[in-house]
Amino acid sequence: MNIRFVLRAGERGFSRLVSTGVNATYVAGHPDGVITRHSSFNFHEYQSGIAGFGHIRVFGDEVFSPGGTGYNMHPHHNFIIAAFVLGGALTHVNTIGKVDELRAGDYYVFSAGSGGKHAELNIGQEDLSVIYLWVLPGKLLAPPSYVRSHFDTKVGADRIVCLVGDEAGALPIGQTIKVSRLVTGRSGTPVYRSSPAHGVYVFVLEGEAGIAGTVLGRRDSMALSGEERIEIAARSGTDLLLVETAL
Amino acid sequence: MKKYLCLGCGFSYDEARGLPEHGLAPGTRWADIPEDWICPDCGTPKSGFEMVEIPYWSQA
Repeated sequence: MNIRFVLRAGERGFSRLVSTGVNATYVAGHPDGVITRHSSFNFHEYQSGIAGFGHIRVFGDEVFSPGGTGYNMHPHHNFIIAAFVLGGALTHVNTIGKVDELRAGDYYVFSAGSGGKHAELNIGQEDLSVIYLWVLPGKLLAPPSYVRSHFDTKVGADRIVCLVGDEAGALPIGQTIKVSRLVTGRSGTPVYRSSPAHGVYVFVLEGEAGIAGTVLGRRDSMALSGEERIEIAARSGTDLLLVETAL
Repeated sequence: MKKYLCLGCGFSYDEARGLPEHGLAPGTRWADIPEDWICPDCGTPKSGFEMVEIPYWSQA
């Protein structure tokens, strides 16, 4: 087992974005609106951490306060951006022409390709908790696309479910990337099967999981490579994401 | 000729194509772009770009 890094929750980059001052046009919401962002990899002003892993460049654990807080319409190219809503409601608007609302368990894959803008807003009355994953594309300037789906924690409990990637029922993505989720109702040791040529980034959303002798708590993460079998000793009530990437 | 990607927004710069609309002629090397140049879309500094070897979709 080749452990590439272990990143504790408190070691991640942290940004607190408000809708006034320098970010007044970028950050939506009333003057008390706040976005908090914990970054697993270097992003924007946070540049003292890990640059990325395989095709992954951004893994943001974000909370938007209620009342219209979020990111106003802004441009992208090329990056494939996926959002996984953990709680609250996310209103996503993009220039492909899609206006969408996503709630806990919902997720999307937005490929900016040759150019697209999007807005990400919390117009609800409670905090929005969302994970943003950005990956490099397999091709530059592809036609932009948007697809979305839902993960049902009841149906998907106690097994590893592929959300994004080249598997039946998963959202397609134009890159060698696979995103899976494990939610446990009981303790157990499920096995994630990976290509030994790939790396796997494991991020614990809730609970506790032991992998390769390392115990990961809430919002801890680690990256591994060169493994065909990754045993995950997960406690009851654990919720985690696995992102497999070509290296 | 190399390609560079903005890690702030994904904007891509291709040395072969340049950015004539922003005053960079086709063939302008990355090294010859001023250090204070920023991403025309999002303002990320030049140091926030990464060299990539990704083919264009249109060449697929």
